[in-house]
Amino acid sequence: MSDALALPAPAAQPALRRSVARFLKGAGGVFALLVAWQLSVPLVGLSSYFYPAPTDVVAAFADLIRKGILPVYFVDSMLRYSTGLATGALLGVAVGVLVGLNRTASLALSPLFKFLFAIVEVAWIPIFVIWFGYGVKTIVLALVYVVFFPVLYNTLLGVRTAPQILVNALRSLGANRLQVLRYAILPAALPGIITGLRVGAGFAFRGLVFAEMVAAKSGIGYLIFEGAQSQQTARTIVGMIVLGLTWLAIDLFYLRPFERATIQRWGLTVDAEQRR
Amino acid sequence: MKPLAPPRLVGTLPFLAVLAGWWLLPRVVDYPAYMLPPIGAVLEFAWESIRDGSLLRNVLASLARLAAGFAIGMALAVPLGLAIALNRHVADTFRPVLSFLQAIAGIAWVPLTIIWFGIGNGSVVFVIANTIFFASLYNTIVGVQSIPTPLYRAVRSHGGRGWSLLANLILPGALVQLLLGVRTSMAYGWRALVASEMIAGSSGLGYMTMEAVQWQRTDVIILGMIVIGLIWVVMDRLLFDAIERRTVARWGLLQR
Repeated sequence: MSDALALPAPAAQPALRRSVARFLKGAGGVFALLVAWQLSVPLVGLSSYFYPAPTDVVAAFADLIRKGILPVYFVDSMLRYSTGLATGALLGVAVGVLVGLNRTASLALSPLFKFLFAIVEVAWIPIFVIWFGYGVKTIVLALVYVVFFPVLYNTLLGVRTAPQILVNALRSLGANRLQVLRYAILPAALPGIITGLRVGAGFAFRGLVFAEMVAAKSGIGYLIFEGAQSQQTARTIVGMIVLGLTWLAIDLFYLRPFERATIQRWGLTVDAEQRR
Repeated sequence: MKPLAPPRLVGTLPFLAVLAGWWLLPRVVDYPAYMLPPIGAVLEFAWESIRDGSLLRNVLASLARLAAGFAIGMALAVPLGLAIALNRHVADTFRPVLSFLQAIAGIAWVPLTIIWFGIGNGSVVFVIANTIFFASLYNTIVGVQSIPTPLYRAVRSHGGRGWSLLANLILPGALVQLLLGVRTSMAYGWRALVASEMIAGSSGLGYMTMEAVQWQRTDVIILGMIVIGLIWVVMDRLLFDAIERRTVARWGLLQR
């Protein structure tokens, strides 16, 4: 769902003019929103605690930068996010391949995995708090959890799509187990792994914000929560804006290129199709 | 190789193993009971909360909020999604703003909604509606775009335009993707529900589970977790699977 509102460009217009027009209209939309927001503040006539103006938000942003709070919080959040994502993904792939190689194990364990994934990571946070206290451990564990299961599940599915012909061919050519894994099973599982990672990355980003609201003393989620608690609502909105821009950047510069580089280059999606 | 037993039976074994481990653990390792209560304590609390109706009340409160948020989100998303998918100017103007808002959809709004609506239904429903809105918006747009061009031309060449084009082709065409997308949007909505109830709720499953942390009532927390898991499994099976079977499989639209 994070392929944010992608629309194919009609071919009729020259590409450059079209993209300039598109950019201008998009910028106009953003600008109109900001103007409407600023103008509505005196009309609404409520305190800046209840309804801060864009100028308040800019001031809060400058203040947070000057005091060095925002950079520190941002780095904290990103460290937690990347640690959780990487750990969850590695564990998911490892367990997925191990379990997926054995048909019986895969059949037996799938329902349990499904049920554990159904207990959403959010629901684990209270018990994590009891076990590990408020802090980084709880946050990172929740992220590992939410990335682990989609990656695991899709790896399991992916391993099963490895063409038996290919496996047999490799074996008869004298490949050992590791080589079969490397050249037949992992490539077949890769599109699934990427799908799982995408799903997990999206859930984990929301999970990060929530976990930081509940269990952190720093981070963007904490900034959003604490800003509202201490009646500095402009800070909350700074946090939300940073959050949104961060996710757009992650999506644009990390998830999509990754997807393109792996799936499209190797044409692996086609392999999976032909199997059916 | 043939599986040794029917898959359903084999699938229950790991659950039994987990339960056995849970039963065995306090007998082998010494740890304070509040860390992980014995199965008996959770069952006892489950029975108690079923009998006095408090569990059912919390479940119903949560589901009612989910339903309200879903209805509001969908009602707003579909018209806007159609406008974006059908008009390039609308799409170009709204896309950056909406992509950005989509990126912060959900739980990040809770602190603001507490200020605006206070603790309780208003905040929680706003967050769910917000989450569902953006997921459904995306699905509506993709739905309209996935209508095959020949079909579009066929309807046009038979004189279908305006309202009849919308009612006979675009809405049904988008509906497939919308229904298929319900699983994903509800997955986000369900998380948003539990999370926002934990912070901004005054009843419901999320509230029940988080509130118990203060009193170190792990039996309540674990019951809450199990119920949250069970409800999702039931919704997944009864609702989303059924939707997929009825629409996609029947209309032969499953493209996998």
